[in-house]
Amino acid sequence: MIMPLLKGLQITFSHMFKKPVTLQYPTERPAIKPNFRGLHVLNVSHDRAKCVACYLCPTVCPAKCITVEAGEDAKHDKFAAKYEIDMLRCIFCGYCVEACPVDAIRMSETFELANYTRADFTFTKERLLEKK
Amino acid sequence: MVNLTVDNKQVTVPKDATIYDAAKSAGIKIPILCHDKKLHPFGGCRMCLVEVEQMKGRLIPACTTPVTEGMIVRTSNDEIVKARKLVLELLLLKHPIDCPVCDAAGDCDLQNLTYEYKVNCNQFVDEKFNHEIDYVNPIIERDMNRCILCGKCARICDEIVSYGAYSVINRGLEAKIGTEFDGPLNCEFCGSCVSVCPVGALISRPFKFQARWWALSKTKTVCSYCGTGCQLTLGCKDNKVLTTVYDEDQGFHNGQLCHRGRFAYQFVNSDKRLTTPLIRKNGKLVESSWDEALALVTERLTQAKAAPASLAALSTAHLTNEELFLFEKLFRGTLGTDNIDHSAGFAHAALTEGLKASFGTVASPSEILDIQKSNLLLVIKTDAYETHPVIGFEINLGVKRKGVDLRIVSDKRGKLGKLPGAQTTVHTPGSELLLLNALAKVIIDAGLADAAAPGLSELKAALAEVSLEKAAAATGVSADEIAKLAKDYAAAEKALILLPIGLGYPGHNAALAEACANLAILTGKYGKEGTGLLVMGEKNNSQGAADLGIHPKASGLNGSAIIDACISGQVKTLFVAGENPVVSYPNRAKVEKALEAVDFLVVADLFLTETAQLADVVLPAVSFAEKSGTFTSVGRKLQQVKQAVKPVGLAKSDFEILNTLNAALGGQKYLNQSELFAEIAANVPAYAGLSQAALGDEGKLLPVAPSAKLVPVAAQAAAPVAGKLALVTGSALYHSGTMSRFGEGPMLVCPNAYAELSAADAKVLKIEDGDAITVKSDTGSVSVTAKVGYRLPQGVVFAPYHFGEGSINAVTDGKAVTWVTVGK
Ligand code: SF4
Ligand code: SF4
Ligand code: SF4
Ligand code: SF4
Ligand code: SF4
Repeated sequence: MIMPLLKGLQITFSHMFKKPVTLQYPTERPAIKPNFRGLHVLNVSHDRAKCVACYLCPTVCPAKCITVEAGEDAKHDKFAAKYEIDMLRCIFCGYCVEACPVDAIRMSETFELANYTRADFTFTKERLLEKK
Repeated sequence: MVNLTVDNKQVTVPKDATIYDAAKSAGIKIPILCHDKKLHPFGGCRMCLVEVEQMKGRLIPACTTPVTEGMIVRTSNDEIVKARKLVLELLLLKHPIDCPVCDAAGDCDLQNLTYEYKVNCNQFVDEKFNHEIDYVNPIIERDMNRCILCGKCARICDEIVSYGAYSVINRGLEAKIGTEFDGPLNCEFCGSCVSVCPVGALISRPFKFQARWWALSKTKTVCSYCGTGCQLTLGCKDNKVLTTVYDEDQGFHNGQLCHRGRFAYQFVNSDKRLTTPLIRKNGKLVESSWDEALALVTERLTQAKAAPASLAALSTAHLTNEELFLFEKLFRGTLGTDNIDHSAGFAHAALTEGLKASFGTVASPSEILDIQKSNLLLVIKTDAYETHPVIGFEINLGVKRKGVDLRIVSDKRGKLGKLPGAQTTVHTPGSELLLLNALAKVIIDAGLADAAAPGLSELKAALAEVSLEKAAAATGVSADEIAKLAKDYAAAEKALILLPIGLGYPGHNAALAEACANLAILTGKYGKEGTGLLVMGEKNNSQGAADLGIHPKASGLNGSAIIDACISGQVKTLFVAGENPVVSYPNRAKVEKALEAVDFLVVADLFLTETAQLADVVLPAVSFAEKSGTFTSVGRKLQQVKQAVKPVGLAKSDFEILNTLNAALGGQKYLNQSELFAEIAANVPAYAGLSQAALGDEGKLLPVAPSAKLVPVAAQAAAPVAGKLALVTGSALYHSGTMSRFGEGPMLVCPNAYAELSAADAKVLKIEDGDAITVKSDTGSVSVTAKVGYRLPQGVVFAPYHFGEGSINAVTDGKAVTWVTVGK
């Protein structure tokens, strides 16, 4: 009867001499692992988004939170006239990154996405574009 | 029949079948890139290679090899798969593989096969093509870098469309699909080539980048432009119609569409659509609620009910059968007026009066499928191609594949006349009746008439005065030519007459239909396969409107008479459902005056048309894509229209509008439109026993029981007026009625009103192609663009009637020929 109790106390004691795991966030920052899936970023190349509006990411997205609208530019090429992710619905699965045939989207280390209004969770193309 | 074994399955197929057909009938799919069931076998892509036991040692193309008795076919084994992979590798060597930006992705045969055969590396290397992309024409983007040279585009354009815009130019690696002098494409823009292209080398520019193929919801329905009644599939996304999707298994036409069907669907989601009711207050149309608008209309109609003669109603034949039936119930039944009509009266008289007199029914005794089964086609006016282009494709196929002898009687030359062996008899404008009477006379005089034909003696007596020489002089056709045509017609085993009718053709009236019917009846060429008379109603539901009696039955006024009665003050209240008389009825000034004179004008339409602008109340109605019901096409095919998208704004279907009004005015209230179909089936003999559900995707052919009678018709030539040109009106290929103006395609290709002149007249008048000209008649004058060509004989001017600005009805007055002067 007493043995299990003592065993438990032993563990408690041993932890008193170990380093704590709790981070004093936000003063202390976590080290982010390479495969972390945070806020999306639209990659830029030659001063424009690499996205060609192929609609593969909105097609594959299980949460159906990506809205793409294609446009035709002056050279008759396809580009994303609209690219929006509703971050409230995103489940951070990363399928969109996997689906992209032109490496136009990646997921960053940004995880602090809290905000005050619902509208602020709609990430438009401008907000998603890679900041260099 | 031939028996063979395909992949261990016993198959029995007709002896003209290929191995591909045999496999298909057994449910076995052989991959193909260059084959299309509508086209002659080609055997170019080598994807369909199969192994035949009796021809071991090499692989056999399935799409070009006819079946033989006892053949043992294997459609897949390691060797075949290897061969197919090689074909794909070779194709992918030059193909840009820009699937992410190619609109064909998802519906691309090359992409699908590459995936199916797991071609993920290539044993060869080479540079890609660097062809210039054709962005010049507004409809079809031609990116020959993506082309796999299957040749389907060139073949369909030649075999079915008979335009011949493409052919393979250059040789070997340089080979590509080119146009005339390798310039930009300028053609009929029917889009057939786009629909069959297995890759994204040809794409629709109006739909470019609008949506991915897999994101479209597809609804099978019926085209709402002309009377051909082509079935089409609407591709919709986010409650918008974005494109038409090709389905080779749809309809008698195997998914073929014309420019209007394929590229003019944008009117459904046009920004110009009416979204709320409008009421005229202090001389201006202001937005209102449905309650207010309908209360006002109900009030005025209640007043009119007391004096039904002062009430009239015009409808368009674009409405569904159910709506037309309700329209008739409301105005003839509940409100008691006989002043109801559509299409100005004359544009359906060929059916409702002509065929009624000749065959005792308001429907043609023939169907569209008879065209290819006939031996001789007599087409009244080459315009039959322009008014009903997909029927035109049937004529092309009949002539080119079945060896049908094509004869055209027309006041101008046209595309049909260029078909192999086609003979065009060009007569003076307005002399069709004289010519047809002369043909009848020749048939009788030559003893080729069926002695038992009912009414023969009356016809003989009536034609006694007709002399071939006089007819020749008046029609401008030599007596020999008339006699030959008549004899050839009578001698043909099976002969079919095609008569297009519509608002552009005031001369194509009851008398002309009777004169045509006389030929068929005289020679006994009706009631059998491949014979008879096909009267081609202009609008998608012209036939339905005729069947359901949307025209005055007793002493009521017809369309044109209603306009006159508005001016004289007899008609005080006018309800217009979808019709646009200001542009489409003869004599624009008179129509405008009439609509202004009338005390209360209600217009229910999709757009604020020229007519709606004059209304006291405008009700926003919905298009064919936003409602369900049935249409009856040329040749009595009853087909289902299915709702694809929700109505825009507050717009309501004509069914809802008419139903509310009918109930408010003391009539019956219906729960839904299918209830009305049940009533049609119970009341209209031709529709007896049918139900909407039973129509399925295919539709049903309505029965017809012609009881023939020869009807003598008096003919008079339009006397020429010295120094004036003969103006004839009609349809332009890219347009249909006045609604195609709200479609994107037609307005990109043919945006302005024009008048077509012969090169000889143009030279005399010093007019060049593209000049702004004024056409003047006793009725009025109008400014249009000149088009100079070789189609018209000297002294004849042709103008299409679809346009609001420069509308030709400013100069016409309901006669077959208008005498005009033309100047800069
Ligand atoms: S991470 Fe997943 S849920 Fe989020 S946008 Fe991408 S595919 Fe959609
Ligand atoms: S998959 Fe890539 S290229 Fe395609 S729409 Fe998404 S981000 Fe753009
Ligand atoms: S659009 Fe029609 S006419 Fe023009 S090239 Fe294609 S098939 Fe031929
Ligand atoms: S353009 Fe299309 S249809 Fe024409 S040959 Fe090339 S791949 Fe075939
Ligand atoms: S307009 Fe007539 S011919 Fe053209 S697709 Fe529609 S129904 Fe067919």
